Amino acid sequence: MTISIMVNTVERSFDVQPDEVLLDVLRREGYLEVKGSCHSGDCGACTVLLDGRPVASCLILSAKADGHAVTTVRGIGDQAHPHIIQESFVKNGAVQCGYCVPGAITSAKALLDENPDPTEEEIRLAMDSNYCRCTGYEQQVEAVLDAAAQLRKGDKK
Amino acid sequence: MGRITQYYHATSLEDAFAKAKQLGSAAAYVGGGVELVLRRNPEITTLIDLSRCGLDYVTAVGEGIEIGSQTTLTTINHSADIRQYAGGSLAWWAGHIAHNNLRDMITVGGVIGRNQPWNDVVPHLVALGAQVRLFDGAERITPLSAYIEAKQPGAIIKGVLLPAGNAGSRGFLWRFTRTQQDISTLHFSALVSYDGKVMTAANLVFAGRPGHAALYPRLSEELVGKSLSHETFARVAEMAPDLVEVGTDLRATGEFRRELVRAAILNLEEHMTGVAQ
Repeated sequence: MTISIMVNTVERSFDVQPDEVLLDVLRREGYLEVKGSCHSGDCGACTVLLDGRPVASCLILSAKADGHAVTTVRGIGDQAHPHIIQESFVKNGAVQCGYCVPGAITSAKALLDENPDPTEEEIRLAMDSNYCRCTGYEQQVEAVLDAAAQLRKGDKK
Repeated sequence: MGRITQYYHATSLEDAFAKAKQLGSAAAYVGGGVELVLRRNPEITTLIDLSRCGLDYVTAVGEGIEIGSQTTLTTINHSADIRQYAGGSLAWWAGHIAHNNLRDMITVGGVIGRNQPWNDVVPHLVALGAQVRLFDGAERITPLSAYIEAKQPGAIIKGVLLPAGNAGSRGFLWRFTRTQQDISTLHFSALVSYDGKVMTAANLVFAGRPGHAALYPRLSEELVGKSLSHETFARVAEMAPDLVEVGTDLRATGEFRRELVRAAILNLEEHMTGVAQ
């Protein structure tokens, strides 16, 4: 079957199997910034935004995403034009091995879009889907608080 | 999943029901879709997606609050109406169950349709006295507790109705897990009405035992008409381990679960005492 998805603001059509999950389709089509890890919705490495809301792409059928908008971490910002959340992750030492970071940044983006001034508790709750096996949670929370403060000041994006 | 050969986007309930009727046990409705991916069923060859049938809504109606079956836990958590309902217990819970990504995927219809023993949403809905609106060619409403007991394959879950009479009541839930995101070894949900002197109504539900969610009216009767005294709850905590049907599985022994049943009632006491103060 053919599905149409707006990926990072670009309209794309993909031929997919009815039982294929979104993670597999995105990676096959070159969106390698979306990471697969647990493949059971536990770890958050594969987080993407579906119509602005964070979802585990390893558990969502690609056919269910037909007609919707998907944002990967590269759609939030890239090396040439990093988003302030991405810069804050680097600045606050929230990147160690880096494998979980695309998912963590994507969850953080969804949170700050909805709540520009989150408490530490709200950050922890919004990012409770993102495991970091380098134990970088404290730095991630600090990075999101830092990014939120800068965004509120209107520094960038 | 392996054998899924067709994914059908239904455009209406009638369309979805006709397709399901035509295919019988080879078809399954897609709610959130999480369990369909995780727990594959080789018999199913067609998935019927309900997301284009207009079932994503929370609406205050004369009889209470109706939640469309395709509504996610996140939407329930954000709903101002549900945050006001029965002390906000369902809204709070919908914002804390599982984790953030899954809360944006899991739908209320999906959890009711699957109704796994470890499910933590269904028991709380049962405690709240929820009814389920079904469509099988025509619409009908049935208590959720009855639907669980006598599930009719093929009927589409259109929505869940939270009754209006619970405005002054307080919802409570307590569950035992090894980690925050773990499934429940024991889940306890309650809805208690208190008039300042005595408890005037109570629904007590246990789940994850390992059977499905079930009401325990005998325990509820012990609370109704009684004050919030320690003696009242101590008596129920003493009775409950013998009344609640718990079993042994890989996660816990029946003996351990019976101790959890006792602990659950004592937690209800603490909660209700806190509410009264």
